Amino acid sequence: MVKLEPAVLQAVSKPARYTGNEWNATKKDHAKVDCTFALALPDVYEVGMSNLGIKILYEILNKREDTAAERVFAPWIDMEAKMREQDIPLFSLETFTEIKNFDLIGFSLQYEMIYTNMLNMLDLAHIPLWAKDRSDTDTFVVGGGPCVYNTEPIGDFFDFFIIGEGEEVIGEVAAAFCAWKRENRIGGRNGFLQRVAEIHGIYVPSFYEPVYDETGLFKEIKPINAHAKKMIYKRVVKDMDTVDFVEKPVVPYIDIVHDRIMLELFRGCSRGCRFCQAGIAYRPVRERTENRLKDLARKLINTTGYDEISLTSLSSADYSCLGPFVDDLMDEFKDKKVSFSLPSLRIDSFSIDLAHKLQKTRKSGLTFAPEAGTQRLRDVINKGVTEENLITAASAAFRQGWKSVKLYFMIGLPTESDEDVIGIARLAQRVVDLYKEVKGRRGAKVTVSVACFVPKAYTPFQWFSQNSLEEFERKQQLLKEHIHDRSIQFNYHDAHLSYLEGAIARGDRRLAKVIHQAWQDGAKFDGWSDQFKYDIWIKAFEKCGIDPAFYNRRERTVTESLPWEHTSPGVNKEFLLREYHHAVRGELTEDCRHGKCSACGICPNLDVKVVDWGKKNE
Amino acid sequence: MNKFRIEITKGEEIRYISHLDYATLIERAICRSGLPAAYSEGFNPHMKIAFASALAVGVTSDAEYMDIELVQPVCQPEFFDRLKESLPEGTKLLRAKEFEEKHKALMAEVDLAGYEIKVPLHGDLSEASEAVERYNNEAEVFYKRVTPKKMREIEVKQYMKSDIQLQGNDDILILHMQVTITSSGSIKPGEILEILKDSFGMPIEPMEALINRQTLSGGGKPLIDLV
Repeated sequence: MVKLEPAVLQAVSKPARYTGNEWNATKKDHAKVDCTFALALPDVYEVGMSNLGIKILYEILNKREDTAAERVFAPWIDMEAKMREQDIPLFSLETFTEIKNFDLIGFSLQYEMIYTNMLNMLDLAHIPLWAKDRSDTDTFVVGGGPCVYNTEPIGDFFDFFIIGEGEEVIGEVAAAFCAWKRENRIGGRNGFLQRVAEIHGIYVPSFYEPVYDETGLFKEIKPINAHAKKMIYKRVVKDMDTVDFVEKPVVPYIDIVHDRIMLELFRGCSRGCRFCQAGIAYRPVRERTENRLKDLARKLINTTGYDEISLTSLSSADYSCLGPFVDDLMDEFKDKKVSFSLPSLRIDSFSIDLAHKLQKTRKSGLTFAPEAGTQRLRDVINKGVTEENLITAASAAFRQGWKSVKLYFMIGLPTESDEDVIGIARLAQRVVDLYKEVKGRRGAKVTVSVACFVPKAYTPFQWFSQNSLEEFERKQQLLKEHIHDRSIQFNYHDAHLSYLEGAIARGDRRLAKVIHQAWQDGAKFDGWSDQFKYDIWIKAFEKCGIDPAFYNRRERTVTESLPWEHTSPGVNKEFLLREYHHAVRGELTEDCRHGKCSACGICPNLDVKVVDWGKKNE
Repeated sequence: MNKFRIEITKGEEIRYISHLDYATLIERAICRSGLPAAYSEGFNPHMKIAFASALAVGVTSDAEYMDIELVQPVCQPEFFDRLKESLPEGTKLLRAKEFEEKHKALMAEVDLAGYEIKVPLHGDLSEASEAVERYNNEAEVFYKRVTPKKMREIEVKQYMKSDIQLQGNDDILILHMQVTITSSGSIKPGEILEILKDSFGMPIEPMEALINRQTLSGGGKPLIDLV
């Protein structure tokens, strides 16, 4: 057991990040279970504790008699320094057990620029970083989360990946581990990997070998083990009502990023925005019933003591029965002073009315995501939002008393011209002017937040050449020059970070050494703007003799084999290609939930169905 | 309307949480208990709980006090049991007493805090006792309190109710001190340790100290005995 001295804890910021003992934390005697599973998110406590996936898996694993699941997050820079100085190994927050004494450690991989933190955590845990260096007594390193739709850049660090939704498969992995252990760890480390490789949705990278052609292009991934499947499709939960959900989440003592109950209304979003990986990865849409959600809300209020419930989903306003459901909830919890929030708003007046109803205090601000500045480009990305939609929604918001509006955009989208970039400024100005029209005076505050587009695997834009650094910066400058009104605040992302993310997001196995080199040279917390060091990364690419432009800037031909095609969300390549062509022609594709099926292939390939209770009740 | 004053600990398990986090923890426990807590009016209602004196990050306590207001009467045993079972580790409910609505606020009643401090000794015991003795004998001691916003010089001895008592051996020192809490301010035990080290040459590292608040009283009585 790791013991932290007061001299350590009093010297670091927010020491309660490291002291555990929170309400609903589950402590088990490791001698009485067969499987110990550390659940990790490679970011600080406040970020890791806000992740719903970790909460769900923690509860599912701990429900098993034979398994103990505990949490571990990345120590902040100051704590890491203390740990290295005093030789304190990475430990779990429940029983303060050294991480290397766990049977498995599962990393939730939310975005590419957190990979160096993952390596840093393994290093602090004294677990060999490369899977090939691990011996029979070492912890199994498991990956999951949104990044599994291109695992290749980090494939060499992981023993196996869980592709897709974890609720059902995580138990199968734990059971397989217990069985292997009972059989005296038959076959050693590889014996267990062969066993899990048989489980649907599990990918063991060391059972495959990438093949490149003479020009260095990826050709194929070759199974080199009898247990290796040719294709690994994501796991998907068919019935969101019967699957386990969080009922007793750990309640933190310190303020975390999302310090409230997260009630997941449904999974998936089929609006079909062409830049969006989550839209493909979480298909099809599957709703929970109102009854199940109300039951969960009651339980969660009682087990946590929280006074706020966030109604989460990729696009919460799309929940088919949202209006009456929210009314019922507000009515039921009136006396308990429980408030509700919607994390994502649709650009329409229904959403504004709902936000108005939910608003408990002063009108803080509304966020809309038109994503692009002109109708032409919004059609390219299949955003399905018109300028009129935005104007109607913003008018409704101003009439209801809101003053500040945040608008999210991207630059660097396929087919983008300078006119589209300037269109962002024009649209923001129109919202400012609208306030004056509606209220008869000035006073709006419009924040324009502009991200740099990163093409991702398994989207219709997966072949597209990302903009160069210079191009991103030129467009940021161009936009800045076209914003004149002092009511508009302009924020933009660091193009350098998006550029690197672009290289890793569509990388192959050769990138593992770059990530390792960057970590070795001090890269960590890359997603934190004050910690991000571009130079380290660029030098790491140079040292490894790899050009990032090969991965982010290169336009791929549609016939090229892509390194991520064996871990699949179930979508047909023909669909992505069709969408790519529609995009270039600016043609819209309907939401399959309401319109006709666009034949993405996920439902038939994975034997699942859209679950939309509004439609069923019609 | 019902009001309860409670006596409760802040234990080792939650030593490193702030006063604000401690308050949130109590509020959430009350929510879980289902006790009919009273809330303030207005757009952003908050639970009506009053605290006696804030406790710093890193300090434990044998006896914290707070007043909790309910909207419906609840009998004392029920109040005690329901709250107790909703409290997390590190918070032990010791006593709960129902009291009259029109009673002085806790903040106005508290005037003295007693601390026990355990700190490793990096030198001779005689050096440590000499430092404490010199501190005790000074009429005035000044301390520069630096916060992110400003720096202020404070005369410390005005807050010492009595002499610091020192016990210990060659490894560890145990200090006892009684610090007065006034409407115009007070001094933190951690700050006194810094003074002892920096101005009186006591061979200790304040960062290594384990500070525990043993008592919190008003007019010589534990705060719960005032209602």
